[in-house]
Amino acid sequence: MNWKKVVSALLVGTMVMSMAACGSDTTSSSNGTEKGGEAKGDEKLVVWTLANDLIDFGERFQEQTGVQVETVVIEPADYPTKVQTALLAGETEPDIIVGEPQMLEDFYDAGFFANLDDLGAKDYEGQIVDYVWEVGQDADGIQRAISYQITPAGIYYRRDIAQEVFGTDDPDEIGKLFADYDTILETAETLKAAGYRIFASDAEINYFSGDSAWVIDGKLNVDQARLDYMDLCIDLYQKDLTAYAAQWATPWYQAMAGEVPVLSAELQWGDWTEDEEGNVGLNIWDEENFNENVSNYTDETTQVFAFGLPAWGVLTMRDHVGDTSGKWGVCAGPSYGFGGGTYIGISSQSKRQETAWEFVKFCTLNEDTANWWIEYSEGDTVSLISALEAHKDDANEVYGGQKLYSFWLEQAEGIDYSKVTRYDKGIGDAWGEAISAIKTGEKSKDDAIAEFYDKVEATYPELTVER
Amino acid sequence: MNIGFKIKKTILYILLILLATVCLLPFLLMIVNATRSGSEIVTSFTLIPSTHTLENWKTVSSYFNLFLGMWNSVKVAVPATALTAYFSALTAYGLAMYRFKGNKTLFTVILIFMMIPGQLGLIGFYNLCTKLHIVNTYIPLIVPAIAAPGTVFFLRQYVLSVMPPSLIEAARIDGAGELYIFHRIAIPIMSPGIATMAIMAFIGNWNNYLMPMIILNKNEKFTLPVMMATLRASTDITANQGAIYLAVAISVIPILVVFAFFSKYIISSISAGAVKE
Amino acid sequence: MKKEKKRHLKNYNNAGYLFVLPFVVVFLIFSVYPVLRTLYFSFTNARIAGVGDIDFVWFENYKRAITDKFFWKSLWNTVRIWGVNIILQLGLAFLLTIVFSDIKYKMKGLPVFRIIYYLPNLIAATSIAFLFQTLLDWRYGTFNQIIAAIYKLFGATYNPIDWLGSSATAGNAIAVIQTWMWFGNSFIMLMAGVQGISKDYFEAAAIDGAGRWTTFGKITLPLLKPILLYVAITSLIGGLQLFDLPYLMSNPSSASYGSVNTAVMYLYKFGFTTGTTQTGYASAIAYVLFAIILGVSLVQLKVFNKED
Repeated sequence: MNWKKVVSALLVGTMVMSMAACGSDTTSSSNGTEKGGEAKGDEKLVVWTLANDLIDFGERFQEQTGVQVETVVIEPADYPTKVQTALLAGETEPDIIVGEPQMLEDFYDAGFFANLDDLGAKDYEGQIVDYVWEVGQDADGIQRAISYQITPAGIYYRRDIAQEVFGTDDPDEIGKLFADYDTILETAETLKAAGYRIFASDAEINYFSGDSAWVIDGKLNVDQARLDYMDLCIDLYQKDLTAYAAQWATPWYQAMAGEVPVLSAELQWGDWTEDEEGNVGLNIWDEENFNENVSNYTDETTQVFAFGLPAWGVLTMRDHVGDTSGKWGVCAGPSYGFGGGTYIGISSQSKRQETAWEFVKFCTLNEDTANWWIEYSEGDTVSLISALEAHKDDANEVYGGQKLYSFWLEQAEGIDYSKVTRYDKGIGDAWGEAISAIKTGEKSKDDAIAEFYDKVEATYPELTVER
Repeated sequence: MNIGFKIKKTILYILLILLATVCLLPFLLMIVNATRSGSEIVTSFTLIPSTHTLENWKTVSSYFNLFLGMWNSVKVAVPATALTAYFSALTAYGLAMYRFKGNKTLFTVILIFMMIPGQLGLIGFYNLCTKLHIVNTYIPLIVPAIAAPGTVFFLRQYVLSVMPPSLIEAARIDGAGELYIFHRIAIPIMSPGIATMAIMAFIGNWNNYLMPMIILNKNEKFTLPVMMATLRASTDITANQGAIYLAVAISVIPILVVFAFFSKYIISSISAGAVKE
Repeated sequence: MKKEKKRHLKNYNNAGYLFVLPFVVVFLIFSVYPVLRTLYFSFTNARIAGVGDIDFVWFENYKRAITDKFFWKSLWNTVRIWGVNIILQLGLAFLLTIVFSDIKYKMKGLPVFRIIYYLPNLIAATSIAFLFQTLLDWRYGTFNQIIAAIYKLFGATYNPIDWLGSSATAGNAIAVIQTWMWFGNSFIMLMAGVQGISKDYFEAAAIDGAGRWTTFGKITLPLLKPILLYVAITSLIGGLQLFDLPYLMSNPSSASYGSVNTAVMYLYKFGFTTGTTQTGYASAIAYVLFAIILGVSLVQLKVFNKED
């Protein structure tokens, strides 16, 4: 049978392959160790990161210093696992590791980050926006990582709608409409009466809900602000005040570019004309069908007024605003908040700490780099105060010429990092689950909150939970 | 009767084709999405192709060399699959056809190990690789393929159901050695089962993400799924949607080829059942 | 004379060691060792895989797992999703096997259909998850639009269901998608088993005038038993380790999360998720889960063997 041939071919193939594989492996890995051991080792840096911006930083660093930078990008969800397995096994590469704020405390505890104060980080205190500097410190106040970005949150709103409904598009005035949760609800109702929706999803104020700490002295802290936030989310949902899109889902992006259908049940499944192919119903995925139907039933579409996003939302909006470009503005939310950010540090096991420190400084503390990055990224917000000030008069055309950098700096200065704990993600998710269960009517408020307490207890046995 | 028979048969075909459509749809979507820009994908849904294939290809190329990734994946998946196929058949045959001490125990252990949730052996596995100095090589991805409990289990069951013991007896009487019997008589008879398992093993190896992600540290050694994951790195996830689909679409091609190739053998080896007693 | 023959046989049997040796060696090194290491962690309070001070807490983690109602809830979710999935999956695979092995109908196109039915399995779970999330979206998804159109055809109004967002439907939706992904696989397995059966049996049955269902019940099914045992056990093992699809398709802050959170997702939360990493506890969950799977599989094996 032919089978014999197949099998033997495969076997031969295997042997050749594995020999080839082993051969090339041994050579390259021995190369690696030799290089690492030599004094010349400092001419190379290995960077493990979770977003590809460091590739650009690495290339620029290489151009300017001649140090060879090898950047490996790993998906954020797997990044901690990858770093943990490598460092726990004692690997001396990577030299540079990074982390998002929620990963950092674990990394500090595990001793993955080298002490930057030993390398002279103290000298640079005050050059970086305060909260970023603090996020990069471990529990003992030792500097472990620095970010080149600030990520304060703001409300992105439509100036044209603001002008029409509220008679002004001034960020300070619009900010007042988002001053607290009650006001937001009022604003939402006013907007609905005018035929608009305040938000695309009901999770837009999540970034501003951290005004109180979840955990204080080892005790779970659910204060009135949390409950108010819960009520607001429920109201927004049950009173039909949003466009019912899920954050980061297709319709959510759609809402950035303008019209989306009003999708209350009766309207969505209402009387739509048949198209030539006999398809009944509005198909929002089909542009032609959509526009045709929309022109017949202009009343049945709406536009979304605002999105709540951190400073990097500028980049998200840039890619999706379409024709509404220039009609946007950014104002403050009900409280200060931030989200995300890539923090750069040095692996404590790196053998090239000096060069690595040069790299960290190059990415975060170098004004030249900061200016270049502002240009290159088309609107990202850096953390170096001098660069932010130098650009404070930059007008962003998507936002009708608003000067965003001074705004973000102001917002960032208001952030109180002491309210952030390592428990925030776990507890916040559980709280979100409770809110969803209540708003959709699956659970009563009491049941959902009781379950929330149970969940926190089960997840973090070390916390005291008082009901 | 004849007409009724034909109608029934037609209905059956229609149902089969309907089911096939449901299975093909995502492929169609994937191919269509490969031609669309990230922004188009996240804001609308259609089966009409767009014009961004070249752009997507450029995005993919700016991140990595897709063909290098594919070659790396081949270097891992082909030997690993061959090892799994051959050694699993060997072990399964040994377990099914010989009564030696410890046979039952080994079989039980194999069963038990199939039941351990895979995720947690990870850190221990990596530790081991460091001690053996095989991190960042393909060895940890290839050699463990020799011991594939699931495949052994399947093939043992398979051998028991298709292998006539009298055939082996006869060969022994003719003076054939045990390994000779395995290679010349058992493998051909087991081939449909081996082919089935080889397909699964190949797909598993080809799509394997977690292990290579943990073990490999150099861009130039990354296998395809690890490379493709870099497209999902945080800041560009939406912008890169089209590129992701394009990369996925291209990466599926080798599996399709292997699949088509092997499934042919499954069919042709029905005649392997024609080992007339 | 007789004695000699027996000794001869025993010699043959010793060749079995040679056959299983490579497997055993590799298995011990690459599978057993890592798993034993996990066992060690399960008795400690290790937070991140063994960083910093590790104290032995012995059975504390196990006690915690057994009294953790969310762990049991996740296990129940797993069983529920798997149950729906396996009934649909094996049912469909069996139907297809019957259709294609029927010697009266002699259905053509098996090679093509077999490939097509297997296709969903080739796409990475991440792509599948993204696709179905878009299709099943509550207010905007194509799936609901199609249903609405059908309702309208009969003059009824359809109140759209939030398939993935509501606890009542999310688990079943995932079970169906899982079925869609895997029925082709089961079908191939069963077909490979049927093709291993000598055609003579079927021809003999046909000559004896046995009907389709009789042939299936009396010939196909008994001869398929070893393969069936495999399919049943692996699907149980795989099913109880259900992870990627529900993980990718659920959102920790959605109302349906509590109904699709599976046991391995729960394990993953403590094993590898930032903010909740507790390696010791995750290891203990892994072993409790393992013990449960083991118990169920043993029962399953017993049941199958009894029928002998």
